[in-house]
Amino acid sequence: MRLPGVSASKPPPGPFREGFWRSPLRGPWLTAVLGLVLLIGLPIVIVTGLLSNDAYQPGLSTSNALGRDLGGPLDLYLFGWPTSPSWLYALTQGLHVTIGLALFPVVLAKLWSVIPRLFEWPPVRSPAHALERLSLALLVGGALFEFVTGILNIQYWYAFPFFFTQAHYYGAWVFTGAFLAHVAIKFGTMRTSLRTRRDVMAVGVAAPGGGAITSSGQDAPSLAATSPAPASMSRRALLGTVAAGSVLLALQGAGQSLGGPFRALAFLLPRGRTRPGPLGFPVNKTALAAGISGPSVGRAWRVVLVGQRSVSLSREQLLALPQHTYDLPIACVEGWSTTQRWSGVRLRDLASLCGVHGAATVTTMSLDPGTFGRASLGHEQVAADSSLLALRVNGLDLSLDHGFPARIISPAVPGVHCTKWVTNMTFRAVAE
Amino acid sequence: MTRFRALYGAGPLNLLALLASFAIAGAAVVGWFQRPRDVVSVLVWFAAAIVLHDLVLLPLYSLLDRIAFGVAGKRLRGARRPDVSGLVNPTPYLRIPAILSGLLLAVFFPVIGGFGAQTELSASGIPESGYLARWLLATGVIFAASAIAYALAIARAGGPPATAGPPPGTAGPPPGTAGPPATPDPGPDQVLVDPRPAAPDQDQAAPSDGAAPTPTPD
Repeated sequence: MRLPGVSASKPPPGPFREGFWRSPLRGPWLTAVLGLVLLIGLPIVIVTGLLSNDAYQPGLSTSNALGRDLGGPLDLYLFGWPTSPSWLYALTQGLHVTIGLALFPVVLAKLWSVIPRLFEWPPVRSPAHALERLSLALLVGGALFEFVTGILNIQYWYAFPFFFTQAHYYGAWVFTGAFLAHVAIKFGTMRTSLRTRRDVMAVGVAAPGGGAITSSGQDAPSLAATSPAPASMSRRALLGTVAAGSVLLALQGAGQSLGGPFRALAFLLPRGRTRPGPLGFPVNKTALAAGISGPSVGRAWRVVLVGQRSVSLSREQLLALPQHTYDLPIACVEGWSTTQRWSGVRLRDLASLCGVHGAATVTTMSLDPGTFGRASLGHEQVAADSSLLALRVNGLDLSLDHGFPARIISPAVPGVHCTKWVTNMTFRAVAE
Repeated sequence: MTRFRALYGAGPLNLLALLASFAIAGAAVVGWFQRPRDVVSVLVWFAAAIVLHDLVLLPLYSLLDRIAFGVAGKRLRGARRPDVSGLVNPTPYLRIPAILSGLLLAVFFPVIGGFGAQTELSASGIPESGYLARWLLATGVIFAASAIAYALAIARAGGPPATAGPPPGTAGPPPGTAGPPATPDPGPDQVLVDPRPAAPDQDQAAPSDGAAPTPTPD
């Protein structure tokens, strides 16, 4: 295809000329190795991200959906989130953040390895090439958007003017679509480049494509420099550097995800930090920030249970009900988690008290008027033995920052659904 | 089929894969529109991410690398520095820790700069401080580890750089010998011995015409 005013043989000076790119490390093999790592790693990040969406159970209530209307084809809510093992969300979200962090250096290296293609000349060779470049803009933009918003979010820096969850969720779809197309188109090239590394690379020609779906890049110039500068490090040293960077970042994610003594590994991450003492485990919203103060949680505090009938209970009355104790994690979307010993009343006992027997969901309201001041749990959670309205933790009364007088704790749910400063619980019977 | 290929530039499955990806992206943009106030800023961030990475960040770090480790940089420093070629190339031992420290800064600059400190204090009740010192400490540890690796590599190669000559019994050439030393198989991950002229490890791409590249900066 010919474009008016564009000469294929005479690119403008600078990065559009092949001679501009001189690193001897670039080449099909390097790009293919990095691509293979991403091909293995990114699906884990994508799937755990989708699982996190499911764990929020957006179909249960508008507050769980966080403003999404769930009408679109991408608003997946596939199955009721399981309650066992209790560390399920700590695992999936820990993987999401940790693997995501570990892949970030690989993404940067991959983009570096293919940057000459951004300036290839002529800019468009065929309709296929034009569409592929458009798809690559979605791929690169989607990847950078997702990594940047995620990385800022885990550092408490809400620099972006938009709502994180929604932007990150749909951004993930933009990326995933482009990623699938890219894999379909380039898989053959990657395989060939990996297999034929010596002979292909030695003469600096492009690896031929292969596989069912071929790329329009068959006649594209090779990624290898045509007049490479002297090498000052080897390709393997570069891959080793990328791997070391991945390990450094993965340690941060793993440290905050494992918690406890491992938290010290996450020396550059601010989430999930602890203070000394049995009540020093992480707080993600203080009573001060939520506007919770003395009188509302004093002697006059009551929790109102709404079901077939309404029941109002004081903290003393709750303590007089059968108490159960479980070790359960709080696991947050930012990838940190902390396991503590919680005591309180079973949710299903509370449902019975207000006349709801059998399968039921519960919507909990907090004294906190904020975004997560209302959350719903599914019938799986309400029925679970270890789902509690917790009154005590680690043998002590809850502190105000941990949700005194009473908070929800439920196995494997995202931390923000463990509502603090509970004031109202509405049980609704459902068909299982 | 052949006609399709000639017109379109690739097979029909290529077109189908791309159209499917555009359909998914379109549905995602519709999803963003559920919060109409957010759409413009989301799209701006999306485009800015590409521009800032491809046209600012990548050129910037390439430039820094070239100033620090490129041929031009070497020339600038050449007069002041002893020629250590022929023994262990020090470049990777500086460049790799610099990359790692730069990576930590690039990823964690919000916490290092304390940009989220107010949010963190309000959220967790814990004041955010000391992250700059932690990053500097990590940088120090990384460079120290690299220095140890460099010392070990020198010891293996047979002595400190720029000494009067290698200890007897080592393979290193006497100083002043023209040309590169006999390069032993560097093996995986091992750093290259003198990179001039381009004689990297066997996995490297060699210039296709076989001529030594001119040592001019790009």
